Amino acid sequence: MIQKKVCMVGVFGTGKTSLVQQFVHTRFSEKYHSTVGVKIDRKVVELKGGEVTIVLWDLAGRDKDEDIGASYVRGAHGVIYVADGTRKETCEQVADLQRVATAAAGAVPAVIALNKCDLVADWALSSADEAALAARGTLFRTSAKSGEGVEAMFLAMATALIASPEGA
Amino acid sequence: MSGTPPVPRDDPSPTPRDEPGATGAAGAPASSDELRRLRALLLGDTRTRVDGIETRLEAMELTPEALAERLPEAIALRARQDRQLGVALAPTVESAISESVRRRPGEFADAIFPVLGPAIRKAIAETMAELVGSINRAMEHSFSVRGLQWRMESWRSGVPYAQVVLRHALVYRVEQVFLVHAETGLLLAKASPPDLAVPDADLVSGMLTAIRDFVGDSFAQDAAAGGLRTFSVGELTVMVEPGPHALLAAVVRGQPAESFRRKTQETIESVHAQFSNALTEFDGDSRPFEPVQPLLQDCLVTVLDTDARPGASVNWRPLAIGAGLVLAAVIALSALSAWRWRRVIAALDATAGLTVVSSDRGWRSGSIRGLRDPDAASPGATIAAAGGDTLHITQRWDPYLSLAPDVVIARARRALGEAAGVRYALRGDTLVASGHAALDWVSAVRARASLPNGVGATDLSAVGLDVPAELDPLVREISEARVLFDVGSAVPGAAGSASPSALARRLSELQARVRDLGGDVELGLTGRSDGSGTDAANAALSQQRADAVRALLAPRAGGATIVTRALGATQPLETADPAARARENRSVSFAVRLLLHPSVR
Repeated sequence: MIQKKVCMVGVFGTGKTSLVQQFVHTRFSEKYHSTVGVKIDRKVVELKGGEVTIVLWDLAGRDKDEDIGASYVRGAHGVIYVADGTRKETCEQVADLQRVATAAAGAVPAVIALNKCDLVADWALSSADEAALAARGTLFRTSAKSGEGVEAMFLAMATALIASPEGA
Repeated sequence: MSGTPPVPRDDPSPTPRDEPGATGAAGAPASSDELRRLRALLLGDTRTRVDGIETRLEAMELTPEALAERLPEAIALRARQDRQLGVALAPTVESAISESVRRRPGEFADAIFPVLGPAIRKAIAETMAELVGSINRAMEHSFSVRGLQWRMESWRSGVPYAQVVLRHALVYRVEQVFLVHAETGLLLAKASPPDLAVPDADLVSGMLTAIRDFVGDSFAQDAAAGGLRTFSVGELTVMVEPGPHALLAAVVRGQPAESFRRKTQETIESVHAQFSNALTEFDGDSRPFEPVQPLLQDCLVTVLDTDARPGASVNWRPLAIGAGLVLAAVIALSALSAWRWRRVIAALDATAGLTVVSSDRGWRSGSIRGLRDPDAASPGATIAAAGGDTLHITQRWDPYLSLAPDVVIARARRALGEAAGVRYALRGDTLVASGHAALDWVSAVRARASLPNGVGATDLSAVGLDVPAELDPLVREISEARVLFDVGSAVPGAAGSASPSALARRLSELQARVRDLGGDVELGLTGRSDGSGTDAANAALSQQRADAVRALLAPRAGGATIVTRALGATQPLETADPAARARENRSVSFAVRLLLHPSVR
C-alpha cells in the first residue's frame, strides 16, 4: 500500500476544512483543530499504476501565517496550499506559508488550491496575481461548495507524489 | 575501475629523480634494454604502479577454486560488518527454496520433517494447554458466585459468556499494535487479534503522531526525553515505544505488566535492526514492512487471572465453619425435638385410658389424635410431665371406654360416690373394697341396680361399718350403760344400775333405725365380777349375770342379736374412785356393733 502524507495549510478562513469535508474519509471531529491543531483525514486516489492513500493532515488555520505548526509539516510528502480567491491577502500569504513548510518538509510537490471559485465574480485577483501563485505550484481553482476542481486537485497531487518521489 | 587512486603529480619519491641521472648518460635507444630504460625514465614510478595494478588485477580474476577457498571467510567477514549480505541473498534464497519446493516437494518435506515435527507438536501442546486452561477457568467460574454473576451479566447484556469471563478475568490484553513511521506518522504495519477489527488504523497512527508532536511541543523541553510514552483512556492504555525511525504503539486493555514494556522495547529494537534500510528509505510504500508482522503478532499477548484467589477461599472458610455449626445445631435440636416428641407419645400411650391413634410432628408444634376414657388422667398433665409442654400441640381426643384396671377403679370411685375410708382393688371383674364406711353408704352400694362399666361384682365384706352420725347418741347411751349387781348376786337391780327395761327400749329403737339403713344391731354383753372369790366362781358368776341381762332384753330387742361373754375378774373396768371399783365391776356392760342385714349381705 502506498501512503503519502500531505499537509493542507492556509490561513484562517480559506476553507481548508470545507474543502476536504465532503471528499475524504473523516474520522476525527473538528474539535481537534482547536485542541491539537490538526485533524487527520484520508483520501484514496485511484491512479493508473494503482491506488495511493493520501493521509491528509489538515492543519488549523492561524491568523499569523508563520505559525502553522511546523512540526506537523515535518515528513510531509506534499503540501496543498489553500488560498481564498475573494481575499487577496490570503494569496499573498502563500509565499510565507511555503517558506515555513519548505523549511520543515523540504522541497516537496506543492499544489495550490485557489478556493471559492463559485464566487469568482467577487474575486479581487488580477491575472498577474494568479500567475504568481501558479509559479509556486500547480494551481487549481476549487470550490468546496460545488466540489469543482477538488478531485482534480487531489489527483494532481497524487500523480505528482508518485511521479517524482521526493529526493530525500 | 574508474575509482583507482589517481597518481599523485607532486610525489616527492626520490627513486624517479635519481633514475634520470643514472640512466641518461648511457643513451642507447635501439636496444630493448635501452627502450626499457627510456620507458622507466619517461614514466618514472608510474610504471611501477601500473605493474602493481596488473598484479592485483591478475589476483582478482579468481578461479572457482580460489573463490571456493575464500567464500566462507568472506561471508563470515561481511556478516559481521552489517546485514547487507542477508538482504542481498534473501530474494535468491527465497526463490531457490520455492523452486525446490515446486520441483521436488517430497524431498523438501523429508528435509524439513525433523524441524516441522517438533514445531507442530509444540504448537499443538501450547494450544491444548491453552484450551485446558480456558476450560478450567470456565469450570471454576461456572460454579462460583462470581461465575453466576457473570452468567447473569451475559444474559442481561447479551454479550457472549466467554467475552464476559474474558473481560473480568483479564489482567491485560494487547488489542492493537501499530508500527508507525516516526517522521511522517504513516502506518507501516499493524496487528490485532482476529476478533478485533481496527478501523482507520492509518488515521489513528497519524493522529497519534500528531498528538505526540503536540504534547512534545507543548511540554517537553528536551526532545531526547522520548516524548509521550504512555497515556490512558478508560480501560485502555496506549504504550508508545519510540525508536530513531519508527515507533511502536500498543493499545492495551487492562493493566500491562512491566515485562510488556520490555517486550515492546525489544520489538522496536528488532524492527530497527532488521528493517534499517527500509526505514531510512521509506517513501510511503509499506510493502517492505510486511515481514514485520510476526514481530508485531508476538506483542499481542493476553494475560488472564488464572490463579485461584487465596482471599476468596480464606473468606469462605469461616462461613463454611459457621454454616457447619448452624447445621450441627439444627440437627441436634431436631434430634432433641424428635426424642422429646417420642417421649410424649410414649407417655400418653402408657397412660391408662389414653390411646394415641396418630401423631404428626412439626418443627415447634405437633398434632395428636387419639381416644380418651372420660375417667383417664388429663393428657395435658401427661404431656407436661413428659417435657412436651414447650411444644404447641393440637390435640383431638375422642371418648371411649377403657377396661384398664386404673380406669375401671376411677370410674367406680366416681360412680359409687366418695367414701374417704374405702380402698379399692380389682380382682378379675370384681371390685374389692376394704377399709370402713358408713353403714348407709355400704348398704346403698349393696342396693345398686347397676355397676360401673368394667365391674362385674362388688365385694364389700372387708369394709367396716361406721355408725351413722344420727344414731351416734343412741349408740353411746347404750354403750355407756351398766347393769349392776350386789355381791355374789346374779340378779340385776343393785343401787345405781341402769334399767334393763329402759335398755330394752333403747335397743329396740336402735335396731329399728339400723334396720331401716339395711343393717342389724349386734349387742355384746360382757359379764364381770369383783376380785373376791375364786376365778372359777367369778367366771361362772359373771356368765350368770350376762345371761340374766340377756334374758331380760332378748324378748324386747326388736330383732337385734345379743351375744354374751364372761370375763370374771380378768379384765376389770378401771374407775377413778377405787372404792367404786368393786361395785362397777359387779356388772354387765354393753358394746354395739353394726352388721349388714342378711338381705343385702
